[in-house]
Amino acid sequence: MTTDSQARLVVNWGHLALLAVIGGVVVAYLVDARGVSLRTNNLLLVQPTAILALILVAAVLPQCFRRVPEGEEAAAEPLSDLGRVGALAAAFAAFALSLETVGFDIATMLFMVVGLYICGERRWWLNLVFSAVFTVLLIYGYGAIIPFPFPLTIL
Amino acid sequence: MIEFAAIEGAYSLLTSSWSAWIWVLPGLLVGLFFGAMPGISITMAMAIFLPMTLYMDFLPAIIFLTSIYTGAGFGGSVPAVLMNIPGTSSAVATTFDGYPMARAGRHNQALGIALASSVIGTLSSYVLLLFLIAPVSRVVLKMGPLELFAVAVWGMVLLGSLAGTSLSRGLLAGVFGVLLGTVGMNTAGYIRGTMGVPWLLDGVPTIPAMMGLLAASQLLGLINTRYLIEDEASRQISLAKILGGFREALSYPSIIARGATIGVLIGAIPGVGSSISNLLSYSETKRNAPDGDTFGQGNPKGVIAAEAANSSSEGGAMATMLALGIPGGGATAILLAAFAMHNIVGGPSFIANNKDIVYAIIFSNFAQAILLLFVGLGFVYIAGYVVRVPLRYLIPSVLVVSTFGAYAISGSSSGPITLVVFSLLGWAMVRYNYPVAATVVGLLLGNLLEDNLLRTWQISGGDLSYALERPFAIVIFVLMVLSLTLSAIAKQRRRRRAATEAPVTPEIGS
Repeated sequence: MTTDSQARLVVNWGHLALLAVIGGVVVAYLVDARGVSLRTNNLLLVQPTAILALILVAAVLPQCFRRVPEGEEAAAEPLSDLGRVGALAAAFAAFALSLETVGFDIATMLFMVVGLYICGERRWWLNLVFSAVFTVLLIYGYGAIIPFPFPLTIL
Repeated sequence: MIEFAAIEGAYSLLTSSWSAWIWVLPGLLVGLFFGAMPGISITMAMAIFLPMTLYMDFLPAIIFLTSIYTGAGFGGSVPAVLMNIPGTSSAVATTFDGYPMARAGRHNQALGIALASSVIGTLSSYVLLLFLIAPVSRVVLKMGPLELFAVAVWGMVLLGSLAGTSLSRGLLAGVFGVLLGTVGMNTAGYIRGTMGVPWLLDGVPTIPAMMGLLAASQLLGLINTRYLIEDEASRQISLAKILGGFREALSYPSIIARGATIGVLIGAIPGVGSSISNLLSYSETKRNAPDGDTFGQGNPKGVIAAEAANSSSEGGAMATMLALGIPGGGATAILLAAFAMHNIVGGPSFIANNKDIVYAIIFSNFAQAILLLFVGLGFVYIAGYVVRVPLRYLIPSVLVVSTFGAYAISGSSSGPITLVVFSLLGWAMVRYNYPVAATVVGLLLGNLLEDNLLRTWQISGGDLSYALERPFAIVIFVLMVLSLTLSAIAKQRRRRRAATEAPVTPEIGS
């Protein structure tokens, strides 16, 4: 963060991280595609599009920095809000990765209990009852539509 | 204008089996329920139910999805009227006069007006589609790979430049989507960007990625949203007054006609759609009405204008999607994905070879609109409870249903993993005002763009002067540059105006 006499430069780190991810993916993809072959049939669309994407990343980059007049606070989101999103996202990722190993029934039940808690349901009995009923209904309901079985442990 | 042989085919398609009809009612109900829940958009509802259509036949699948589309159009207006919260982004203008009407105790009339306008809007947009689809298909059939490439790029550019708040972010979202859409093996046999993951050979699994970008990402963002709807007084529903609202809506045919026309035209442009058309129709009606200064205080004309426009956008968006195979936004992107799921390629050849199916879709939408009239009437009785469904239950439940859907599509963990990755990407993009719909459309069109460009390259033997033999493609490219320049100028002006009105914290380089 830099400061001058009239205004402070505030960095939007989240936006910067997103741009870094997009830029990183584009560069990695371009390098990979060029590593496969340099022939036109391979790079005709990918190379110009990747270069355009990088130009656009460079064009958006300055938008991650804002000048805020001295003395004025930049509006910030409470960290607890971001924490809740992060916790739900982590639980969601764990759910998706564990589905096949622990079974859809256990994974769903666990994710529902944790998810409901993160989303604000603090009454444990209601949380457990809803999660259990929802899991059973979904597994049998979806199972009726889908012709192949979900890997299950208990149900 | 209309090809009667194809109409006969459509009639036999729709009457030969009940399977085409059985999904209309569930689709409408799903649309109404999800549309009425604050925070759930039309596209989210369609994305969540997309995997279920995998095991249906093609026509019932499309009819089910378009029924959700139709139902959610009206569903979104229910919380807009009852509690000033637009259920979907296309119901924003409905709140302007719908809620003041409810505050004045005229919520029944407002709901009746919204329902009647939605039904007539949907009907009129599909009538237009019925007459236009044959001539349009004759024109689009003349397009070669270069023209198709040009049109696809134009659609992408429009979507990227119009959908977001910043031109550069919109374009980046679209271009990034196109790149992701080319991952895997291309038609020339080169394998790129798979990172050694075998299931990426066929490309990024489009449907889980779409569900992640359009549905799961929004759910992650909703966790911190609190709608103060518990305090809102519950309102008595009266059938007689709703029917009174119907009559009131019908007494302003010119406003409905204007709204429907704006809706169809705006809906057909990629990137704009119903979330803009309702605002445009509202402001146009306000400008032309003799009692324009009472708009915003509960003038029924405002509700008519907004609802007629947002529901007729569906027909416009369908026209672009069916004729060119290019989705203008999230909802039509989902429909195009449903086409692909049933091994049907949307676009000029589809419409030319399958006019009977296209007409069947149109006729089914007539039926959907009429059925909406009755289902919608019944729905308003329970709508008061639906809009109160607590988000803390909705968010994890819908995430789980999406994950099951992603698994059902792929038959392995690849679907759920893709869903998670793209929901995180989508959440971050929405947070920083990138139009995720542009990424979704890019992802869908990436392959089409590369195929058509490769084909053009192979036909022309790499000779750039080939483009001169295709004047239509050049016209499209010129139009694209023009529209891009115009939208850049318009955005610049809007930003300057906003800066003079509120001179705080200027963004550098934006």
